[in-house]
Amino acid sequence: MANLKERIDAVRKEFDEAARRAADAKSLEELRTAYLGRKRGHVTLLFEDLKSVPAEEKREAGRLVNELKQSVTVRLDAIEGQLSSVPPAVSAAGTDLTLPGRKRYVGRPHPLTLFEEEIERIFLGMGFSIEEGPEIETDYYNFEALNFPPHHPARDKWDTLFIKGDLLLRTHTSPVQVRVMERSKPPIRIICPGRVFRRETPDPTHLPMFMQVEGLVIDEGVTFAHLKGTLEYFLRALFGEKIKVRFRPSFFPFTEPSAEVDIECLVCSGKDPACRVCGGTGWKEILGSGMVDPQVLKNVNIDPEKYSGWAFGLGIDRTAMFAYGIPEMRYFYENDLRFLRQFGTK
Amino acid sequence: MKISLDWIREYVAVDLSPQELVDRLTMIGLVPETVEDKGGDLILDLETYANRPDTLGHLGVAREIGAMLARPLLERDWPVAELGEATADIADVQITAEALCPRYCGLVVRGVKVGPSPDWLVRRLEAMGLRPVNNVVDVSNYVLFATGQPIHTFDFGRIGGGRIVVRKAKRGETLVDLDGRTLELAPDMLVIADESRPVALAGVIGGQASGITASTRDVFIESANFDPVGIRKTAKTLGLQTDAAYRFERGADIGFAPKAAVMAASLLTAMGGQASRGLIDRFPKPPKPRTVRLRLRRIAELLGVAVPEDFVVEVLGRLGFRLEASHHGAWRVEVPAFRVDISREADLIEEVARFYGYDRIPSVVTPVDSFAPAANRKLDRLARIRGTLLGQGLDEVINWSFADPEREAAAANGKTPVDIQNPISTRASVLRTTLLTGLLENAAWNLNRGLDGLHVFETGNVFHWIEDGKHCEDLHLGLLSTGLLPAAGLGTAAAETDFSVIKGAVEAVLEALRYDPAGFEPRDHPSFEPGRALAVLYKGQEIGTLGQLRRDFAAVASVDRAVYAAEIDLAALFEKTPRPFQYAPVPKLPGVVRDLSFLVDTSHAYGEVAQALGRLNQPLLEGFELVDRFTGKSVPEGRVSLTVRLRFRHPQRTLVAEEVDRVVQEVVGQLRSALDIQLREGSIDSRA
Ligand SMILES: [Zn+2]
Repeated sequence: MANLKERIDAVRKEFDEAARRAADAKSLEELRTAYLGRKRGHVTLLFEDLKSVPAEEKREAGRLVNELKQSVTVRLDAIEGQLSSVPPAVSAAGTDLTLPGRKRYVGRPHPLTLFEEEIERIFLGMGFSIEEGPEIETDYYNFEALNFPPHHPARDKWDTLFIKGDLLLRTHTSPVQVRVMERSKPPIRIICPGRVFRRETPDPTHLPMFMQVEGLVIDEGVTFAHLKGTLEYFLRALFGEKIKVRFRPSFFPFTEPSAEVDIECLVCSGKDPACRVCGGTGWKEILGSGMVDPQVLKNVNIDPEKYSGWAFGLGIDRTAMFAYGIPEMRYFYENDLRFLRQFGTK
Repeated sequence: MKISLDWIREYVAVDLSPQELVDRLTMIGLVPETVEDKGGDLILDLETYANRPDTLGHLGVAREIGAMLARPLLERDWPVAELGEATADIADVQITAEALCPRYCGLVVRGVKVGPSPDWLVRRLEAMGLRPVNNVVDVSNYVLFATGQPIHTFDFGRIGGGRIVVRKAKRGETLVDLDGRTLELAPDMLVIADESRPVALAGVIGGQASGITASTRDVFIESANFDPVGIRKTAKTLGLQTDAAYRFERGADIGFAPKAAVMAASLLTAMGGQASRGLIDRFPKPPKPRTVRLRLRRIAELLGVAVPEDFVVEVLGRLGFRLEASHHGAWRVEVPAFRVDISREADLIEEVARFYGYDRIPSVVTPVDSFAPAANRKLDRLARIRGTLLGQGLDEVINWSFADPEREAAAANGKTPVDIQNPISTRASVLRTTLLTGLLENAAWNLNRGLDGLHVFETGNVFHWIEDGKHCEDLHLGLLSTGLLPAAGLGTAAAETDFSVIKGAVEAVLEALRYDPAGFEPRDHPSFEPGRALAVLYKGQEIGTLGQLRRDFAAVASVDRAVYAAEIDLAALFEKTPRPFQYAPVPKLPGVVRDLSFLVDTSHAYGEVAQALGRLNQPLLEGFELVDRFTGKSVPEGRVSLTVRLRFRHPQRTLVAEEVDRVVQEVVGQLRSALDIQLREGSIDSRA
């Protein structure tokens, strides 16, 4: 019996050492055969030895051998569990260094999120803060407060999806500007990104929903020259230092004077009369802007004699399309991962 | 608005090259959208603005070009061959709705020979893309495109009693218009009537019965001014878009009405007719001219550049404004009637800026003051959620806020969708009540295109009606996982996703925002398979659901694989206070670890084990986690093997093995009595 007990301890010790070295499925299988193999397994052989143990000691000896078998089994199972998550190529490290590495898939942000963040970073750097507001708006915040009289044809350009009563889907993020002006005092320096909605028939560059970012600065002594300087800075930060920028008169009910901002066509530089992007003019309309209309300031109880300000609005989708040469706006909302994932590496 | 350069030259001398003209018009805000050479004439299609009806005719565009080139507008005479008969003796005009028709001018041209127009007139109309009809109709179109003032011509013989009554329509009245449509008139619509019935829909379209025909002899010329809002409402209600309505709803020049009538009479009499003497001009309340104060100082304050005083006077003068110096550096500016867009100082400053040149205004970066951007906690949290989920291997998607009401109904979440009054299509006629329908569409789209798995998230607003007509707009987070998970490299076979992927992602988000510990309780949800959903709780409040989507819900989007998803109400979550952040010193003393392997009945969920362990009052037990769970060859039927790693530490001293062993025995004892666990033999493994 003492002899058997010694043998059990020896087998256990040997097994423990061998188990520590078992580093792949093959050596694990060899280990299992060596200890639990039906004919020559070390543990199996111990059961054979039990036969020669005196009857009065058999019970205790049997218990010890059984315990050994149990712990060997548990250990082997555990090693198997660990090994199944270790690829053989890695565990056999050094055999082939040219094998591909192991990496976890990291998700990719949506391109519109990326582009929005890029825009936000530029303005955050200039001391702007980010404001948001509801997507279901009232006629007052979407139109009236912004100097759109009821029944005015100016509303046609902001073709609206109506909900009920005076509720509608905001056609721009300008209502956020109004809400901020209502609740805070100048100086104000904000940008307002978000979803906007228009009743547009879908085509390559128009969809009934898109992303917009608007900006607003209100303070004493703010001039059109500030509008120009800041937007030029922004566009250079976004499109490169050398980009040419042009401001030309336009009309928006909520700004006076109003300006449309064009940048030079990155596709043809004005050299292709049939250019799909600029139509041969060499200029691409990129954003609308202007000095905040005095009536808009009055509507939110800001004295237009004391304060002045400027605002701008830009379509994120269309700007991203222009920046990356994407032909169809709907790609952003189809969410085809083969499209979306490309931008994670931008 | 199309303009012909040839026609413009009747009003102002232009000697720019086509390219120069296009560039300079662009820089004063009259952007030519297309440029076309038509038989030696240059046709420009100008972008128009809703506030500038004065540029809807050649005269107005010429005025802008005159100001741009500092050249005078050329005057032209419109001589009329007159009869001895006075207009007032043969026709009568009465306005009964002055608010809707502030001015009405008219006269009669007798002996008109209706026929083809002369070549010069045909050419002008063809330049506008119009097909000539006959000389009378062509003359009215000519006047409209020349001056922007719409006029209308009636067959005077068909005007009952020679009486024109400008009145509101009577209930039940109808009018067959020039295109043969029968218009149902409403009492708020303005009509031109004769003594008995409507003969035209004022400012929108004429009636067929009083229209010009080959047999017309005498023509009544109408040149009037109508209230823009009234015209717009009428045109919108009846779905009519005409050149006349387009101009009246933007605001026509009330001062120009008589001149346009004379111009038309001059053209018609030049083709053979003779006009009645004197114009009927009903203008009961001529408005006072608008005056606006303009300060030179204010121009500099708004534009950031000092514009020379004589430039201001010159440009505004050429645009038709009358300036009267009130005191030094300030003017009283009288606004011409055709500039309906100008009523404030800022409007005049824009005029100055347009012609001074936006390119001559300097560029100054708005100075950054001392104030720093206000922290936006919501956006910070959203950014952290995105970062966490991207790290979990989920891609971000952005879906429509619109939804198909049928698919929305399949979510069965009991929310009443907000419907859109005038949707683009019936398949996008409500706003989404859940992010899950959009995520399912993404799954269908990508699986149909050969991807073998999809693991995505979206943050965005969902909407629904609550009681008494109020609506909810709440920020949600949606997650979805279906199909194979991405493999990490050789030997890691891509595995099918399961419940734990979504649960792990939700746990990771809540931990990243310190909204932990979160609770998960089995709770059925109509969008999820029964018995396969968990309510997500924070501080006892349900803030979302996760689990396996109901198969018939997924099937509506044609997805037939198992889909795991979650939706979290971020609006509700963000209202809660997260666990405060607190620094804890890194322990200096080593801890002790024991792995405890035991069998437990499969009827006991791991949650019960965790709960039992969590309830233990063992000060030395620092924490625990599940490190292995399996059923296999060596595990009896009906049981499962769990290995829980227990971490022990004493704050002040190093632990000795014996006291840890004692605690482990107590833990085992407590688990045994609570859950009837059975220790696996040789299964307390120590890993210090
Ligand atoms: Zn181009």
